[in-house]
Amino acid sequence: MKTTLIPAAALVLCVASATAWAAPGTVLRNEKLYSQPSASARVAANVPKGARVEILAKQGGWLRVKAGNSTGWIRLLSVRAGAGGLGGAGVGDVVGAATRRSDPSRVVAVAGLRGLNDEDLKRAQFNADELARMEALGVTAAQARSFARQSGVVAVKVAELPKPQPEQSSSPWGNN
Amino acid sequence: MKIKLTLLAVALASLSGAAAALDLGKMLEDHIKEELNKDRQTQPAPEAAPDAATPPQSKQKVDLRQLGQTLLTGYSLEEENRIGQQISGNLLGAVPLVRDDNLQNYVNLVGNWVAQQSGRQEITWRFGVLDTEAINAFAAPGGYIFVTKGLYRLLNNEAELAGVLGHEIAHVTGKHHLKLLKQSSLIGALGQAASSKAKDSDQMVQNLIGNGAEIMARRLDKDAEHEADRVGMVFAARAGYDPWGLPSVLQDMAALPAGDKRTSLLYKTHPHPADRLAALGEAVDGRLDAVRGKELADRFYRIR
Repeated sequence: MKTTLIPAAALVLCVASATAWAAPGTVLRNEKLYSQPSASARVAANVPKGARVEILAKQGGWLRVKAGNSTGWIRLLSVRAGAGGLGGAGVGDVVGAATRRSDPSRVVAVAGLRGLNDEDLKRAQFNADELARMEALGVTAAQARSFARQSGVVAVKVAELPKPQPEQSSSPWGNN
Repeated sequence: MKIKLTLLAVALASLSGAAAALDLGKMLEDHIKEELNKDRQTQPAPEAAPDAATPPQSKQKVDLRQLGQTLLTGYSLEEENRIGQQISGNLLGAVPLVRDDNLQNYVNLVGNWVAQQSGRQEITWRFGVLDTEAINAFAAPGGYIFVTKGLYRLLNNEAELAGVLGHEIAHVTGKHHLKLLKQSSLIGALGQAASSKAKDSDQMVQNLIGNGAEIMARRLDKDAEHEADRVGMVFAARAGYDPWGLPSVLQDMAALPAGDKRTSLLYKTHPHPADRLAALGEAVDGRLDAVRGKELADRFYRIR
Protein backbone atom coordinates (compact mmCIF):
# COMPACT_ATOMS: atom_id res chain seq x y z
CA MET A 1 0.00 0.00 0.00
CA LYS A 2 2.70 2.40 1.00
CA THR A 3 4.74 1.72 -2.10
CA THR A 4 1.86 2.72 -4.37
CA LEU A 5 1.04 5.82 -2.37
CA ILE A 6 4.51 7.30 -2.40
CA PRO A 7 4.96 7.78 -6.17
CA ALA A 8 1.38 8.96 -6.50
CA ALA A 9 1.87 11.64 -3.87
CA ALA A 10 5.14 12.68 -5.44
CA LEU A 11 3.44 13.06 -8.82
CA VAL A 12 0.52 15.09 -7.56
CA LEU A 13 2.62 17.47 -5.50
CA CYS A 14 5.39 17.51 -8.07
CA VAL A 15 7.95 16.98 -5.31
CA ALA A 16 11.12 15.70 -6.82
CA SER A 17 12.36 12.53 -5.20
CA ALA A 18 15.58 12.57 -3.25
CA THR A 19 17.57 10.73 -5.88
CA ALA A 20 16.35 11.89 -9.29
CA TRP A 21 15.70 15.59 -9.60
CA ALA A 22 16.49 16.71 -13.13
CA ALA A 23 15.35 20.12 -12.00
CA PRO A 24 16.72 23.58 -12.76
CA GLY A 25 18.87 25.28 -10.17
CA THR A 26 21.11 28.29 -9.60
CA VAL A 27 24.54 28.39 -7.98
CA LEU A 28 24.45 30.62 -4.86
CA ARG A 29 28.20 31.19 -4.38
CA ASN A 30 31.41 30.68 -6.32
CA GLU A 31 31.96 26.97 -6.01
CA LYS A 32 33.77 23.89 -7.24
CA LEU A 33 32.34 20.88 -8.99
CA TYR A 34 33.94 17.72 -7.62
CA SER A 35 34.23 14.38 -9.40
CA GLN A 36 32.83 12.66 -6.29
CA PRO A 37 30.54 13.87 -3.44
CA SER A 38 33.52 14.82 -1.28
CA ALA A 39 35.63 17.94 -0.83
CA SER A 40 38.74 15.79 -1.10
CA ALA A 41 37.79 14.53 -4.56
CA ARG A 42 39.24 15.88 -7.80
CA VAL A 43 37.89 19.26 -8.85
CA ALA A 44 36.11 18.86 -12.17
CA ALA A 45 35.28 22.52 -12.74
CA ASN A 46 34.70 25.88 -11.11
CA VAL A 47 31.22 27.37 -11.26
CA PRO A 48 30.48 31.05 -10.58
CA LYS A 49 27.71 32.45 -8.43
CA GLY A 50 24.59 32.84 -10.53
CA ALA A 51 25.38 30.00 -12.94
CA ARG A 52 22.38 27.97 -14.03
CA VAL A 53 22.68 24.23 -13.45
CA GLU A 54 20.60 21.16 -13.97
CA ILE A 55 20.22 19.12 -10.81
CA LEU A 56 20.57 15.41 -11.59
CA ALA A 57 20.74 13.70 -8.22
CA LYS A 58 21.11 14.22 -4.49
CA GLN A 59 23.25 12.34 -2.01
CA GLY A 60 23.57 13.53 1.59
CA GLY A 61 24.93 17.06 1.53
CA TRP A 62 25.76 16.93 -2.16
CA LEU A 63 23.99 17.48 -5.46
CA ARG A 64 25.10 16.05 -8.76
CA VAL A 65 24.66 18.83 -11.32
CA LYS A 66 25.31 19.61 -14.95
CA ALA A 67 26.79 23.08 -15.45
CA GLY A 68 27.51 23.93 -19.06
CA ASN A 69 29.58 21.07 -20.40
CA SER A 70 30.69 19.87 -16.97
CA THR A 71 29.02 17.41 -14.68
CA GLY A 72 30.02 16.90 -11.07
CA TRP A 73 29.10 17.16 -7.40
CA ILE A 74 28.46 20.44 -5.64
CA ARG A 75 27.54 21.20 -2.03
CA LEU A 76 23.78 21.04 -1.42
CA LEU A 77 23.80 24.46 0.23
CA SER A 78 25.64 26.12 -2.67
CA VAL A 79 22.69 25.67 -5.05
CA ARG A 80 19.06 26.59 -4.91
CA ALA A 81 16.56 24.40 -6.72
CA GLY A 82 13.85 26.00 -8.83
CA ALA A 83 13.62 28.43 -11.69
CA GLY A 84 13.82 31.56 -9.55
CA GLY A 85 17.52 32.25 -9.91
CA LEU A 86 19.50 34.27 -7.38
CA GLY A 87 16.78 36.79 -6.73
CA GLY A 88 15.11 35.08 -3.80
CA ALA A 89 11.63 36.52 -3.53
CA GLY A 90 12.53 39.15 -6.10
CA VAL A 91 12.22 39.41 -9.85
CA GLY A 92 13.67 36.00 -10.56
CA ASP A 93 10.74 34.21 -9.01
CA VAL A 94 8.14 36.08 -10.96
CA VAL A 95 9.81 34.72 -14.05
CA GLY A 96 9.90 31.31 -12.46
CA ALA A 97 6.22 31.43 -11.66
CA ALA A 98 5.35 32.50 -15.16
CA THR A 99 7.29 29.68 -16.74
CA ARG A 100 5.77 27.11 -14.39
CA ARG A 101 2.19 28.22 -14.65
CA SER A 102 1.61 26.04 -17.68
CA ASP A 103 2.61 22.92 -15.77
CA PRO A 104 -0.72 21.12 -15.35
CA SER A 105 0.34 19.06 -12.33
CA ARG A 106 1.04 22.30 -10.45
CA VAL A 107 -2.38 23.67 -11.20
CA VAL A 108 -3.99 20.51 -9.84
CA ALA A 109 -1.90 20.72 -6.70
CA VAL A 110 -2.76 24.33 -5.98
CA ALA A 111 -6.45 24.47 -6.85
CA GLY A 112 -9.12 24.29 -4.17
CA LEU A 113 -6.83 24.08 -1.18
CA ARG A 114 -7.74 25.23 2.26
CA GLY A 115 -5.10 27.82 3.04
CA LEU A 116 -4.19 29.74 6.15
CA ASN A 117 -3.67 33.47 5.94
CA ASP A 118 -2.99 36.25 8.39
CA GLU A 119 -6.67 37.21 8.52
CA ASP A 120 -7.54 33.66 9.66
CA LEU A 121 -4.93 33.99 12.39
CA LYS A 122 -6.09 37.42 13.49
CA ARG A 123 -9.71 36.31 13.79
CA ALA A 124 -8.85 33.07 15.59
CA GLN A 125 -10.70 32.32 18.80
CA PHE A 126 -9.15 30.30 21.61
CA ASN A 127 -9.97 26.59 21.26
CA ALA A 128 -9.55 24.95 24.66
CA ASP A 129 -10.60 21.47 23.48
CA GLU A 130 -8.04 21.41 20.71
CA LEU A 131 -5.31 22.67 23.03
CA ALA A 132 -6.19 19.95 25.56
CA ARG A 133 -5.97 17.44 22.75
CA MET A 134 -2.50 18.65 21.87
CA GLU A 135 -1.39 18.51 25.51
CA ALA A 136 -2.68 14.95 25.78
CA LEU A 137 -0.80 13.85 22.66
CA GLY A 138 2.56 14.86 24.11
CA VAL A 139 5.09 12.14 24.91
CA THR A 140 7.66 11.80 27.69
CA ALA A 141 11.40 12.18 27.20
CA ALA A 142 11.78 8.48 28.05
CA GLN A 143 9.31 7.48 25.32
CA ALA A 144 11.16 9.61 22.79
CA ARG A 145 14.54 8.15 23.79
CA SER A 146 13.15 4.67 23.44
CA PHE A 147 11.74 5.48 20.00
CA ALA A 148 15.12 6.83 18.87
CA ARG A 149 16.88 3.72 20.16
CA GLN A 150 14.52 1.47 18.18
CA SER A 151 15.98 2.70 14.91
CA GLY A 152 19.53 3.07 16.15
CA VAL A 153 19.40 6.86 16.21
CA VAL A 154 22.16 7.91 18.60
CA ALA A 155 22.92 11.37 19.95
CA VAL A 156 26.28 12.71 18.80
CA LYS A 157 28.34 15.77 19.60
CA VAL A 158 28.10 18.46 16.94
CA ALA A 159 29.59 21.90 17.44
CA GLU A 160 27.48 25.02 17.07
CA LEU A 161 27.66 26.72 13.70
CA PRO A 162 29.19 30.19 13.72
CA LYS A 163 27.14 33.16 12.66
CA PRO A 164 28.56 34.10 9.25
CA GLN A 165 30.59 37.29 9.07
CA PRO A 166 30.32 40.09 8.22
CA GLU A 167 27.31 40.94 10.35
CA GLN A 168 24.47 42.18 8.22
CA SER A 169 22.73 44.03 10.99
CA SER A 170 23.07 44.86 14.64
CA SER A 171 19.69 43.52 15.67
CA PRO A 172 19.09 41.93 19.06
CA TRP A 173 18.55 38.44 17.61
CA GLY A 174 22.13 37.27 18.04
CA ASN A 175 23.22 34.08 19.69
CA ASN A 176 21.87 33.67 23.15
CA MET B 1 21.78 53.19 37.56
CA LYS B 2 20.22 55.40 40.16
CA ILE B 3 17.76 56.69 37.61
CA LYS B 4 16.87 53.15 36.66
CA LEU B 5 16.18 52.14 40.24
CA THR B 6 14.07 55.18 40.90
CA LEU B 7 12.11 54.44 37.79
CA LEU B 8 11.53 50.88 38.92
CA ALA B 9 10.41 51.94 42.32
CA VAL B 10 7.98 54.43 40.88
CA ALA B 11 6.67 51.87 38.45
CA LEU B 12 6.24 49.31 41.19
CA ALA B 13 4.26 51.74 43.23
CA SER B 14 2.03 52.72 40.35
CA LEU B 15 1.43 49.17 39.26
CA SER B 16 0.82 47.65 42.65
CA GLY B 17 -2.28 49.73 43.26
CA ALA B 18 -4.24 49.06 40.12
CA ALA B 19 -2.97 45.74 38.92
CA ALA B 20 -1.72 43.79 41.91
CA ALA B 21 -4.70 41.45 41.80
CA LEU B 22 -3.93 40.47 38.22
CA ASP B 23 -1.51 37.75 37.37
CA LEU B 24 0.34 39.80 34.83
CA GLY B 25 0.54 42.67 37.23
CA LYS B 26 2.08 40.21 39.67
CA MET B 27 4.45 39.01 36.96
CA LEU B 28 5.62 42.53 36.35
CA GLU B 29 6.00 43.16 40.05
CA ASP B 30 8.10 40.07 40.40
CA HIS B 31 10.27 41.29 37.57
CA ILE B 32 10.72 44.60 39.23
CA LYS B 33 11.70 42.98 42.52
CA GLU B 34 14.08 40.69 40.70
CA GLU B 35 15.69 43.63 38.97
CA LEU B 36 16.02 45.49 42.24
CA ASN B 37 17.62 42.50 43.93
CA LYS B 38 19.99 42.04 41.02
CA ASP B 39 21.12 45.62 41.35
CA ARG B 40 21.53 45.30 45.09
CA GLN B 41 23.72 42.28 44.67
CA THR B 42 25.91 43.82 42.03
CA GLN B 43 26.12 47.18 43.74
CA PRO B 44 27.79 46.97 47.16
CA ALA B 45 25.78 49.22 49.47
CA PRO B 46 25.27 52.34 47.45
CA GLU B 47 24.60 55.13 49.87
CA ALA B 48 21.64 56.71 48.22
CA ALA B 49 20.13 53.57 46.76
CA PRO B 50 16.42 54.04 46.69
CA ASP B 51 14.30 51.06 47.57
CA ALA B 52 10.71 50.14 47.00
CA ALA B 53 9.70 52.05 50.12
CA THR B 54 10.90 55.34 48.74
CA PRO B 55 7.82 57.43 48.12
CA PRO B 56 7.31 57.97 44.41
CA GLN B 57 8.04 61.55 43.62
CA SER B 58 6.01 61.87 40.50
CA LYS B 59 4.03 59.22 38.72
CA GLN B 60 4.01 61.21 35.55
CA LYS B 61 7.70 60.57 35.16
CA VAL B 62 7.22 56.87 34.45
CA ASP B 63 8.49 56.15 31.00
CA LEU B 64 6.69 52.96 30.02
CA ARG B 65 8.92 52.32 27.06
CA GLN B 66 12.04 52.44 29.15
CA LEU B 67 10.32 50.51 31.90
CA GLY B 68 9.44 47.70 29.53
CA GLN B 69 12.93 47.40 28.18
CA THR B 70 14.39 47.46 31.64
CA LEU B 71 12.03 45.03 33.28
CA LEU B 72 11.48 42.23 30.89
CA THR B 73 14.98 40.98 30.49
CA GLY B 74 13.30 37.60 30.66
CA TYR B 75 10.02 35.86 31.26
CA SER B 76 9.77 33.11 33.85
CA LEU B 77 9.00 29.62 32.62
CA GLU B 78 5.48 29.99 33.99
CA GLU B 79 4.90 33.20 32.06
CA GLU B 80 6.40 31.69 28.95
CA ASN B 81 4.03 28.72 29.25
CA ARG B 82 1.05 30.96 29.83
CA ILE B 83 1.84 33.03 26.75
CA GLY B 84 2.51 29.89 24.69
CA GLN B 85 -0.79 28.33 25.75
CA GLN B 86 -2.75 31.39 24.74
CA ILE B 87 -1.06 31.67 21.35
CA SER B 88 -1.39 27.94 20.70
CA GLY B 89 -5.04 27.79 21.74
CA ASN B 90 -5.75 30.69 19.40
CA LEU B 91 -3.81 29.13 16.55
CA LEU B 92 -5.76 25.90 17.05
CA GLY B 93 -8.91 28.00 16.87
CA ALA B 94 -7.88 29.01 13.36
CA VAL B 95 -6.91 25.51 12.27
CA PRO B 96 -7.36 22.24 14.18
CA LEU B 97 -5.02 19.29 14.48
CA VAL B 98 -5.11 16.53 11.88
CA ARG B 99 -7.37 13.77 13.24
CA ASP B 100 -4.70 11.07 13.08
CA ASP B 101 -3.32 10.13 16.49
CA ASN B 102 -0.64 7.88 14.99
CA LEU B 103 0.69 10.81 12.99
CA GLN B 104 0.59 13.14 16.00
CA ASN B 105 2.29 10.55 18.19
CA TYR B 106 5.02 9.98 15.62
CA VAL B 107 5.74 13.71 15.29
CA ASN B 108 5.84 14.04 19.09
CA LEU B 109 8.32 11.16 19.43
CA VAL B 110 10.66 12.60 16.79
CA GLY B 111 10.26 16.18 18.00
CA ASN B 112 10.79 15.37 21.66
CA TRP B 113 14.01 13.51 20.83
CA VAL B 114 15.33 16.44 18.80
CA ALA B 115 14.29 18.86 21.55
CA GLN B 116 16.28 16.84 24.06
CA GLN B 117 19.41 18.04 22.25
CA SER B 118 18.42 21.67 22.74
CA GLY B 119 19.53 22.08 26.34
CA ARG B 120 16.11 23.29 27.55
CA GLN B 121 15.06 20.22 29.50
CA GLU B 122 12.72 22.20 31.73
CA ILE B 123 10.29 22.70 28.86
CA THR B 124 7.37 20.36 28.24
CA TRP B 125 7.54 20.00 24.47
CA ARG B 126 4.38 19.36 22.46
CA PHE B 127 4.12 18.91 18.73
CA GLY B 128 1.14 18.98 16.43
CA VAL B 129 0.32 18.66 12.75
CA LEU B 130 -2.23 21.29 11.67
CA ASP B 131 -5.00 20.37 9.27
CA THR B 132 -4.26 22.83 6.47
CA GLU B 133 -2.63 22.51 3.07
CA ALA B 134 -0.72 25.75 3.65
CA ILE B 135 3.02 25.08 3.85
CA ASN B 136 4.26 26.44 7.15
CA ALA B 137 5.45 25.69 10.66
CA PHE B 138 5.03 27.62 13.87
CA ALA B 139 6.63 27.80 17.28
CA ALA B 140 5.03 29.35 20.34
CA PRO B 141 6.83 30.11 23.61
CA GLY B 142 6.78 27.35 26.19
CA GLY B 143 7.54 24.60 23.69
CA TYR B 144 4.46 24.39 21.43
CA ILE B 145 5.52 23.40 17.91
CA PHE B 146 3.27 23.14 14.87
CA VAL B 147 3.82 21.81 11.37
CA THR B 148 1.12 22.08 8.73
CA LYS B 149 -0.09 19.07 6.79
CA GLY B 150 0.98 20.91 3.63
CA LEU B 151 4.58 21.10 4.84
CA TYR B 152 4.48 17.54 6.16
CA ARG B 153 3.51 16.34 2.67
CA LEU B 154 6.74 17.83 1.29
CA LEU B 155 8.85 15.66 3.59
CA ASN B 156 10.57 12.51 2.37
CA ASN B 157 12.09 11.05 5.52
CA GLU B 158 12.43 11.39 9.29
CA ALA B 159 15.63 13.44 9.03
CA GLU B 160 13.73 16.12 7.10
CA LEU B 161 11.02 16.16 9.77
CA ALA B 162 13.73 16.42 12.43
CA GLY B 163 15.27 19.36 10.57
CA VAL B 164 11.98 21.25 10.31
CA LEU B 165 11.16 20.61 13.98
CA GLY B 166 14.73 21.57 14.90
CA HIS B 167 14.22 24.97 13.26
CA GLU B 168 11.05 25.56 15.28
CA ILE B 169 12.62 24.26 18.51
CA ALA B 170 15.42 26.77 17.93
CA HIS B 171 12.85 29.59 17.85
CA VAL B 172 11.73 28.50 21.32
CA THR B 173 15.21 28.07 22.78
CA GLY B 174 16.24 31.38 21.20
CA LYS B 175 13.06 32.94 22.66
CA HIS B 176 12.51 34.72 19.38
CA HIS B 177 8.78 35.29 19.79
CA LEU B 178 9.23 36.43 23.37
CA LYS B 179 11.69 39.00 22.10
CA LEU B 180 9.19 40.05 19.47
CA LEU B 181 6.57 40.52 22.18
CA LYS B 182 9.02 42.46 24.27
CA GLN B 183 9.82 44.71 21.36
CA SER B 184 6.39 45.40 20.00
CA SER B 185 3.48 44.69 22.30
CA LEU B 186 4.85 45.21 25.73
CA ILE B 187 4.33 48.91 25.92
CA GLY B 188 0.64 48.56 25.21
CA ALA B 189 0.29 45.73 27.67
CA LEU B 190 1.99 47.71 30.37
CA GLY B 191 -0.39 50.53 29.74
CA GLN B 192 -3.28 48.11 30.10
CA ALA B 193 -1.81 46.68 33.28
CA ALA B 194 -1.38 50.08 34.82
CA SER B 195 -4.86 51.24 33.93
CA SER B 196 -6.34 47.86 34.83
CA LYS B 197 -8.65 47.82 31.85
CA ALA B 198 -8.31 44.09 31.42
CA LYS B 199 -10.75 41.92 33.32
CA ASP B 200 -8.60 38.90 34.07
CA SER B 201 -5.20 37.40 33.45
CA ASP B 202 -6.31 35.62 30.26
CA GLN B 203 -7.29 38.98 28.92
CA MET B 204 -3.93 40.38 30.01
CA VAL B 205 -2.02 37.75 28.12
CA GLN B 206 -4.28 38.21 25.11
CA ASN B 207 -3.58 41.92 25.22
CA LEU B 208 0.09 41.13 25.27
CA ILE B 209 -0.01 38.89 22.20
CA GLY B 210 -2.50 40.90 20.17
CA ASN B 211 -5.51 39.64 18.21
CA GLY B 212 -6.01 35.89 17.96
CA ALA B 213 -2.86 34.20 16.76
CA GLU B 214 -1.68 37.13 14.68
CA ILE B 215 1.76 36.97 16.30
CA MET B 216 2.22 33.78 14.25
CA ALA B 217 1.70 35.87 11.10
CA ARG B 218 4.30 38.40 12.13
CA ARG B 219 7.72 38.39 10.56
CA LEU B 220 10.65 37.75 12.85
CA ASP B 221 13.91 39.51 12.16
CA LYS B 222 15.58 37.65 9.30
CA ASP B 223 18.59 37.08 11.53
CA ALA B 224 16.30 35.12 13.85
CA GLU B 225 15.23 32.89 10.96
CA HIS B 226 18.81 32.33 9.82
CA GLU B 227 19.81 31.57 13.41
CA ALA B 228 16.96 29.05 13.72
CA ASP B 229 18.17 27.39 10.51
CA ARG B 230 21.71 27.04 11.85
CA VAL B 231 20.70 25.94 15.32
CA GLY B 232 17.91 23.65 14.09
CA MET B 233 20.23 21.88 11.69
CA VAL B 234 22.66 21.26 14.53
CA PHE B 235 19.89 20.00 16.87
CA ALA B 236 18.82 17.44 14.23
CA ALA B 237 22.43 16.39 13.66
CA ARG B 238 23.01 16.03 17.41
CA ALA B 239 19.93 13.83 17.59
CA GLY B 240 21.66 11.43 15.21
CA TYR B 241 19.83 12.41 12.03
CA ASP B 242 21.35 13.20 8.67
CA PRO B 243 22.05 16.94 8.99
CA TRP B 244 20.87 17.66 5.45
CA GLY B 245 17.19 17.24 6.26
CA LEU B 246 16.37 20.92 6.75
CA PRO B 247 18.37 22.06 3.67
CA SER B 248 16.60 19.40 1.59
CA VAL B 249 13.20 20.73 2.67
CA LEU B 250 14.33 24.28 1.85
CA GLN B 251 15.34 23.02 -1.61
CA ASP B 252 11.92 21.47 -2.14
CA MET B 253 10.28 24.74 -1.10
CA ALA B 254 12.62 26.74 -3.35
CA ALA B 255 11.53 24.57 -6.25
CA LEU B 256 7.86 25.47 -5.80
CA PRO B 257 6.56 28.22 -8.10
CA ALA B 258 6.34 31.68 -6.52
CA GLY B 259 2.61 31.83 -7.19
CA ASP B 260 1.84 28.70 -5.16
CA LYS B 261 -0.87 29.82 -2.76
CA ARG B 262 0.25 27.29 -0.16
CA THR B 263 3.36 29.39 0.49
CA SER B 264 1.83 32.89 0.58
CA LEU B 265 1.83 33.19 4.38
CA LEU B 266 5.19 31.43 4.66
CA TYR B 267 6.87 34.01 2.44
CA LYS B 268 5.22 36.86 4.29
CA THR B 269 6.89 35.72 7.49
CA HIS B 270 10.11 34.06 6.31
CA PRO B 271 12.97 34.99 4.01
CA HIS B 272 12.82 33.17 0.68
CA PRO B 273 14.32 29.65 0.83
CA ALA B 274 16.98 30.70 -1.69
CA ASP B 275 18.20 33.34 0.77
CA ARG B 276 18.03 30.86 3.64
CA LEU B 277 20.04 28.29 1.71
CA ALA B 278 22.68 30.89 0.85
CA ALA B 279 22.97 32.07 4.47
CA LEU B 280 23.09 28.51 5.77
CA GLY B 281 25.74 27.63 3.18
CA GLU B 282 27.98 30.40 4.49
CA ALA B 283 27.68 29.09 8.03
CA VAL B 284 27.99 25.37 7.27
CA ASP B 285 30.58 25.23 4.49
CA GLY B 286 32.50 21.99 5.18
CA ARG B 287 31.81 21.89 8.92
CA LEU B 288 29.33 19.03 8.79
CA ASP B 289 31.15 16.93 6.20
CA ALA B 290 32.17 14.36 8.80
CA VAL B 291 28.73 14.05 10.40
CA ARG B 292 26.97 10.85 9.49
CA GLY B 293 23.36 10.54 10.53
CA LYS B 294 20.29 8.56 9.61
CA GLU B 295 17.59 9.61 7.14
CA LEU B 296 15.10 6.92 8.16
CA ALA B 297 12.91 7.04 5.06
CA ASP B 298 11.45 3.63 5.95
CA ARG B 299 10.16 4.66 9.35
CA PHE B 300 8.78 7.99 8.11
CA TYR B 301 5.02 8.15 8.73
CA ARG B 302 3.24 8.89 5.45
CA ILE B 303 -0.10 10.64 5.31
CA ARG B 304 -2.73 10.46 2.64
